[in-house]
Parts: sequence; structure tokens; C-alpha cells
Amino acid sequence: MQHKNLTGSLLVALPTFLATPALSQTEVVVWVGGEPGQTTVYETIANQFNEENPGVNLTVVTNTSDIFNPALVPALSAGEGPDVFTFGTGPGQPAALIAGGLVADLTDAYYEHNWSQTIPEGIIVQTSSDGKLWSYGNEVETTGMFYNKAIFAEHGLSVPTSWAEMEAVVETLMAAGFETPIGLAGADKWPVSHWQSMIFGRYAGPEGIENVLFSDGSWTDEPFVQASARLQQMGQADWFGPTPVAIGYGELMDAFWAGEIPMTFTGPWVVGGGIEAAGDRISDFSVFAVPPFEPGQKIYPTNSIGSGWYIRVNSEHKEIAIAYINRMFQNVEGRVTLLDHGVVPVGPLEEALAMANMPQLSVDIWKAADDHAANGSVPAFLDTITPGTLTTVSYDGLQALLLGVMTPEEFTAAMQEAWAASKAAGEIMLPGGIAER
Amino acid sequence: MFLDPDSKLAQRLNPVLFLLPAVAIYILFAIYPTISVVEYSFTDWDGINPNRNYIGLENYERLFSDKIFWEAFRNTFVWSAVIIVINVGLGLVIASMLARVWKARLIIQTAIVLPVVISPMAVATIWRWMYQPKGAVNQVLEVIGLGAFKTPWLGSPDAVLYALAVAHSWSTMGLSVIIFLAGLQAVDEHLYEAAKIDGASPLQSFRFVTLPALRPVTAVVFILTLTQSFKVFDIVWATTQGGPIRFSEILSTYMYKRGALENDYGYGAAIGVALLVIVSLATIVYMQLQNRQES
Repeated sequence: MQHKNLTGSLLVALPTFLATPALSQTEVVVWVGGEPGQTTVYETIANQFNEENPGVNLTVVTNTSDIFNPALVPALSAGEGPDVFTFGTGPGQPAALIAGGLVADLTDAYYEHNWSQTIPEGIIVQTSSDGKLWSYGNEVETTGMFYNKAIFAEHGLSVPTSWAEMEAVVETLMAAGFETPIGLAGADKWPVSHWQSMIFGRYAGPEGIENVLFSDGSWTDEPFVQASARLQQMGQADWFGPTPVAIGYGELMDAFWAGEIPMTFTGPWVVGGGIEAAGDRISDFSVFAVPPFEPGQKIYPTNSIGSGWYIRVNSEHKEIAIAYINRMFQNVEGRVTLLDHGVVPVGPLEEALAMANMPQLSVDIWKAADDHAANGSVPAFLDTITPGTLTTVSYDGLQALLLGVMTPEEFTAAMQEAWAASKAAGEIMLPGGIAER
Repeated sequence: MFLDPDSKLAQRLNPVLFLLPAVAIYILFAIYPTISVVEYSFTDWDGINPNRNYIGLENYERLFSDKIFWEAFRNTFVWSAVIIVINVGLGLVIASMLARVWKARLIIQTAIVLPVVISPMAVATIWRWMYQPKGAVNQVLEVIGLGAFKTPWLGSPDAVLYALAVAHSWSTMGLSVIIFLAGLQAVDEHLYEAAKIDGASPLQSFRFVTLPALRPVTAVVFILTLTQSFKVFDIVWATTQGGPIRFSEILSTYMYKRGALENDYGYGAAIGVALLVIVSLATIVYMQLQNRQES
């Protein structure tokens, strides 16, 4: 009798159990780059999305860049992995994923959801090939010279507008006992690449960079050699301190926010951590555009898409993935949330900016870039748009430049050799553009 | 239906049945991946394209002309040599001293063994912080009057490999000490007494009693240290990624770069196979030398 009662109870309870939201939810997995354990704005928006769509559960998995791609590629190759994920953009990084048929063609979504209203042409070039759109280039990022206004004021310094003034600022700071006037975390390699991207852009200009990326230009062209020589010269004059290749990024930023280093060249992603580290002193910090390295040289702001959003080709939840992308970048609330976290989404900002409460430091970064926007812009992160082989050569070569064991000519020749090999192997994406409909 | 537990067949089958799960797991997670890596090493697989083209020995031919591979090869040998000297040499000395110390032995032993249980990534984070130009290591050198030896450890081409090897040894030497201690406890105390009666000094006792008695244990520690040091990846990757330039590039980090970061899985697999062959050869040579000495 007792058994019958138990069975009866279970039969009554089962449909109720199955009908609970937890079991009927569609699970969609999102992978984004970042520090594990750190909540990114994408997770915040995913939570908002989940609340608005009770039948869906977006799970955001965060991982650092050095293990992100090695985990992603085998997962996608096995037909598994995230439904939607962030990844580098063209012309270098996604070529293999596209050629391997691992990512979905987003051209239909582009037309269906009017993405042309938000994604500028310049970003389409880096996210499309063969007339198809492969990713939604998400946020715009730039880089600039972060500096400690309090230290500058204490030593009677103002923001330099010429190279002579820059030299004077560095000399004053060194004389005042700052062993490292400009912090550079060379041990982590990629921060040096931010300098490389900016300085290459300054010497070659937007056309010079595009000529190499999309045409028959060479990294051995004179502007790149001059730029490499300038970076090496700054290193050898101890502008980055006596041992930049021994310092890690985390340690460097801690020292910067603590007021031990007056300047460092970085990007808006540090703002959140800076507010946490510096607290009320965050108003001591601001950003300026590095002045021209040579007389008559123009300031080209660095401007890149941080990364692109891709959808796995065999994902069963493409529509939800697209809805999530739309919620982030096409929806004003999503755009405001991004801005509030210091992330600048692609496309027109007027409406969202009026509603957003951006940290002042983020505003300063964009102001420093906007002041020179009319000159045109250059990529902020060459390492995210060139193939992995070139990235390895660049990273090692930049450390070699700083250590003075490689000449600028040798460095640019090594880059060109890796670039030519990647081109020959078809590892670079061709100039983009979407077929008209 | 069931076998009689006392039957001969059951007695023969029982060990096999007990071993079967472990063997199955070993085949699935060790043998099969190893065979797959060997197979990939004969292909040009990029890790993405489902099609793999067999290219024969091309990847192995590339190894011979790859300058970076040989740099990593040389670094790996230097790296392993330093770790073997510390873990086997110093480990034996510490274990011998600990065996004679009774007071506070447990505390000292725990202090030496504790780093073994710390995750390699945590070890890397600790040492990365300690090796910063203004980090703990340089500060200690300054305080004890050895300021002249202060070095930018992770940024110095001359020091980086040795600095990382010391960090790795710090986290692994405890295991050697424990194994040596276990071996020392098995040495017959009468041998030491006899040596003492014969007038042997403590050093002579160590040389003529301890060392020969510990030869089999030393072989185990040596092989464990050798294989461990060759397969190290995490501490190097998390501190320098093989830098500055390639001065701390070892075979495992180079394999990862080529395979996983540059999507050249076929070549990365060939580097992995080369690593396997080197470790196997080194182990065989050492075992042969040991056997010859014993015979």
C-alpha cells in the first residue's frame, strides 16, 4: 500500500517537476575573454537578457587570452564549444576558423536586423570576407598615455604637445627620482605590442598600415624601421625604466595606480580596476595622446574593434545568440550598460551617451582620441589582427628591441618573413565587404 | 550465473577484473592520446580543418632545420640539469640531515614538503611576484648585504632560466626529500655503527654507506625529476611565456606556441614526440648506467 502511495505521489509530482523553468530553459553558452572570476559587462547583460527571457539561460564563461584560443579551437573543431564567442578579427586571426567552416555566416542577420545602422564600414572590412559577414565587431577600443595628474602638478609639468616637451617631461621625472617615467610591462609581451601598433601607425599613417595588411606593402618599409628605431631608442634611454622586460602587467598597473609610476600607455580596459585600486584618487589620473614623434608628423588615434562576436556554425541556438548580440549592441539599454562599464560600442553614440554615466577616465581616453579623429585612425592592436606566427615573432622581437639585441632592420625583416609565410599559406583574410542585397 | 569465488577461474579472473578499470582509463587518457599525437605528427593538421593531410616525415625534417627548436632543446637540457642537481643533490643532502635531526624534524619536513601541494599556477604567481625588480628576492639580497647580486630575474637573458628552475625546484624538491627519507629509514643502522667503529667520519659514512644503500632510491628520484622537469609548462608559461625573447623557451612552451597558438598542430605534435623520445632515451641511458654500476 505504501509503495502504491509513493508511486502515485511520484506520478503526480513528475509533470510539475518537469514543468519547472529550470528544466525547460534553453542553455546557451557564451565564451568571452577576460580574467577568470571577474564579472564582465557581457555577463551583466547576459543576466539582464536571462531575466527578460525566462526560457533562456545564457552562461558566460570568461578566460584569459593565452588559454582562450587554445581551448576554443579544439572545442569548435570537435563540433562543440560555445554557441557564441568573442575572437580576434581580420585580416589575420579568424581566417582559419572561416576556412575551416567553424563559424556561422551572419550576413542574413546583418540585413534582417539592420546592423548596417550600427556597424561602420571600417569595421565591416575587418569582419567580413567573400562578401559575407562573419562576426559582429563589438566595441571600439583605443589606447593613450595614462598619466598621474598629481605627480605632474607636483613637478610643475603639463601635458606635452611636442616631442621636445615629452623629452622634457621624462627628464624632469627622472631627475625627480622616478626610475620608470613610463611604465611598460614587457614581461607579458603584449603590452609592448600596443606601443608597436601606435608607433607604426604614427610613422606609416593609416594608408601605410592598410598597404601592408591588404596590399603588397612590407613591414620592412622605411616608416616601420624608423618607428622600431624610435621605440628602441626610448627603451635604451630608460624611458621605460631600467628593466621593462622584467615587469608584469599586473604588477605594473598596481605601481601606476599607487602613484609609483607617473605614466603608462594602455587602454580603457584598465579603468574598472583603476577605480577599485585608486578609490577616491582616481580623479588624479587622466589621459593624453602621445605627441608626434617627429616634426610635422600627425597624431593618428589608435582605433580597433576589441574583438568580434562569432556564432558556432552548428549551434542550435543561433537565433538566441543573435538576440543576445542585438541586446548588447542594437538596444539602447545594452549600449548604455556597455558605456557605464567603460566599453564603447560600435556605431552612433548620441542617444546612449545622453543616458550613460561613463567613468571620467573613460571619457578622457575618448576625448584624447577624438581630438585628432579628423586625421584618420590606425589599428590599436596589430597583434589581434595578424596571424599567430607573426604575433609570436613580433612579441619576441619587441623584447629583443628593448634589450638591444636586435636592430630595427632585423626586427622588421623578421616580421616581414613571418607575414610573407602566412600570406603564402593563405592564413590571412582578404579585404572585407558584404555583398549588396 | 556467478562464478564460485573459490574456483580457479575466479581466482585467475579477479586480478584482471580489478585492474580493468584502471587499465581502461590509462588506455583512454594516456595511450590513445599518445598514439594520436604520433599520428598527428605525420600530418599538416591546423587543428581546425577536419581534413588532415599526411605529409610523411616533413615535420621531423623541419625540426632539424628549426633554429628555435634547438634553442628550446638546449634550454630544456640546462633547465633539467639545474633541477636534477637541486632536487636530487640538495634533496639527498637535506634528507640525510633531516634523518639525523629529531627536534623540530616534523616542522622542517612540513615546510619543505608544503610547496609540493601548491598548484603550479599559484607557484608561478608567487615567484613572478618575488622575481619582480623590486620584489622580495631582490629586497632580501639587499638586506643581507648581497645587493650587488640584484637582478631583473624575469627580464635577464642570463638569469631567467636558472631563476625559473629554482622556482620549480622549490615546488617539487619536497617530494625528493620524502622519498630519500623513506629510503634512509630502510638503511641498516648497524652499517653506520660498523663504519663508526672503523673510524669513518660522517662524510665518509655518507659516501660509503648512505650513497650505495640509496642507489635504487636515487634512481627513482632521478627519473621522476627528469620526467617532471621535461614536461614542465605552467611555471614558465605563467611567468615569462618563454621570454625574454626566447631565453626561457623550453620544448613544452615551444610545442604549445606552435601547436595551440599558431594552429600548427602537426608540427606541435612532432615537437611533442621529440620530447617523448628524448625523455625515454635519457631514462634508458640512466637505467643502463645504474645497472652497470650495480653489476
